[in-house]
Amino acid sequence: MKTRTNTEISVKSVSSNDINMDLSIFNDIEEDQPKIDSIDELKEDEINSLQSVGINLNDNSEAGKFFMYGTSIFTFLPQIDGVEIIPLKKAFVIYPEIKDKYHFKAIDENQDEFTQTAFKKEQNGYFIRVRKNVIVNEPLHTALFMHREMSTMCIHNIVVLEEGAHLHLITGCTSGCTIKGGLHIAISEHFVGKGAKLINTMIHNWGTDFVVRPRTATIVDDDGTYISNYYSVKPPKHIQTDPFTHLSGKNASAKYMTVLASFPGTYCDIGGTVLMDGENSGAELVARAVNHGGQVIQTGLLIGAAKETRAHVDCSGLMLNDNGIIEAIPGLRAMHPDARMSHEAAIGRIDIGEVNYLQSKGLNEMQAIALIIRGFLDVGIEVEGLGSEMAEIINEIAELSGHGE
Amino acid sequence: MLTIDNLHVDVENKEVLKGINLNIPDNEVHTLFGPNGSGKSVLISTLMGYPEYKITQGEIIFNNQKINDLSIDERVKLGLGVSEQRPPTIKGVKLKNLIELLVPGILGDEVFKRNMIDHYDMSKFLERNINDGLSGGEMKKSELFLVLITKPEFLILDEPDSGVDPEHMIMIGSMINETLLKERCEPMVRNSGLIATHSAAILNYIHTDKAHVLLDGKIHCSGNPAIMMDQIRKNGYSYCIKCQNNLMEDQL
Ligand SMILES: Nc1ncnc2c1ncn2[C@@H]1O[C@H](COP(=O)(O)OP(=O)(O)O)[C@@H](O)[C@H]1O
Ligand SMILES: [Mg+2]
Repeated sequence: MKTRTNTEISVKSVSSNDINMDLSIFNDIEEDQPKIDSIDELKEDEINSLQSVGINLNDNSEAGKFFMYGTSIFTFLPQIDGVEIIPLKKAFVIYPEIKDKYHFKAIDENQDEFTQTAFKKEQNGYFIRVRKNVIVNEPLHTALFMHREMSTMCIHNIVVLEEGAHLHLITGCTSGCTIKGGLHIAISEHFVGKGAKLINTMIHNWGTDFVVRPRTATIVDDDGTYISNYYSVKPPKHIQTDPFTHLSGKNASAKYMTVLASFPGTYCDIGGTVLMDGENSGAELVARAVNHGGQVIQTGLLIGAAKETRAHVDCSGLMLNDNGIIEAIPGLRAMHPDARMSHEAAIGRIDIGEVNYLQSKGLNEMQAIALIIRGFLDVGIEVEGLGSEMAEIINEIAELSGHGE
Repeated sequence: MLTIDNLHVDVENKEVLKGINLNIPDNEVHTLFGPNGSGKSVLISTLMGYPEYKITQGEIIFNNQKINDLSIDERVKLGLGVSEQRPPTIKGVKLKNLIELLVPGILGDEVFKRNMIDHYDMSKFLERNINDGLSGGEMKKSELFLVLITKPEFLILDEPDSGVDPEHMIMIGSMINETLLKERCEPMVRNSGLIATHSAAILNYIHTDKAHVLLDGKIHCSGNPAIMMDQIRKNGYSYCIKCQNNLMEDQL
């Protein structure tokens, strides 16, 4: 067993390790990358990579699909009236008014260098709109795929749910498995109308030298619901994200769930900020990390700024290695005397008593550890009505963790 | 079938078992009496191979094989099965998930599993986290159910009757008898086992062949379970200390 020497220990927050990443090593965003004309040209390993993030391009989903391969875009049109999936640039041509209404309206283009890049270069991505009272039962899949070594992908997505609309969006972000590095920038703006419900599930699987910068913001109107699920199968070298949700309406709610496994040489700073200034709005943030030797920061800041707002943050981590770091920063800010807020955070190793108990029932040590990790990561997915694909992803994360990969 | 020879065990550097000798032949089930803190659970955990219990002397022989150094799951593979006194709860792990791993979905097993779930009315526990928020009786039932579906050759039960109401007791008695049954048509041939109990309540439902009294880490006397139970109920465990003292005087 290796123990740290005192001189190595710094009491500064690990989040200050958000060092000066040298991003110049990545190629500029190019419009003219080698393109493909049909998804039939995808190589087998690329299809496998997509499957690892829950995306199967060949099943005919009624809700439609959107697939971005570098800059090549393929859309599988929805067969449901009132559901649109359009490349963003094309959407601006068809519906000129949406640019003023939604483009950089949830996110400030000057937030940081990544939002500025996306703003200046007017990046493409998807525009998804679900019309009033249309309820899409099946998940709509989108995939953002990086196919060139050391390239930069910068995308901008906009999702609009009109009053009473329901949508479950599953987005897989990955690269071909032979590709080691690249820079992935993703701007996502979500607009959830009155009484509408958006479930946004994001699944990531990256190579060891990727840098990933998602920038996400969601605005939720009266009685609206936003659920964000983030699953990281394999983290990149460096990811920093702090998705922001503004519960501007009465009775609006937001729930974030983050599940990740961390490995040596990776850094994950995954946060979540929810501003509740709608009366009687509620927010919950649940983060789970299994650490095999990387650096993990679980942050969350829930801000109660109106009457009868409710919030709960729960950050938990399992340490499976002597060298990793988990820093849990569950944050609450009350700005109204009626705000009710609570938090919990627990970090520890796997309880050996639990492992022994499961062994005494007949499991071997590996099976016992994998089962405990799966239980730890299984944060009420069924409650949110996610399908068996999600159970598969969780299994995969638990399996990887169980083998200490 | 199971022989324990001069077993000494340390827990946290303190000797808790001080030279246990015990022999349980094929087709016999023995009772282990003893007041709280006498070392019953430590003996059982040592038999199962829990690492915090260190054997400093002596041997455990199961089916002619010394098992002192085997891991917990290796012992289970050899045929030991245990129901614990105070099993842990495990966050997020449903009973269903564990059962699926223990009895993989082979067709025959699947039918057996279903029948057992229905017969013992276990379905309402399947979706719950293991042992989480279960009452005393429900917890024992869940423990026994896990043993039952894996059909061990040698059954080890730690206080299957503590904290159990009369109605659950009947069910638990029947689960134990079902687990002990080897061949449906030969009720006289049973699996072997060791049942630890301080209240002896379970003995109204299960026939055991022999009983031993454990006091302060040692077996003080052995004999007919019914007679010993009677004595303990009348006189408490002090009767055994007296009888041990008499024995020693006799020997002098
Ligand atoms: N893990 C442990 N750590 C320290 N002491 C223990 C531990 N387990 C048991 N003991 C001690 O060993 C003795 C026997 O306990 P136990 O076997 O549980 O008794 P019982 O006969 O009631 O089952 C007690 O004094 C108890 O406090
Ligand atoms: Mg005990």
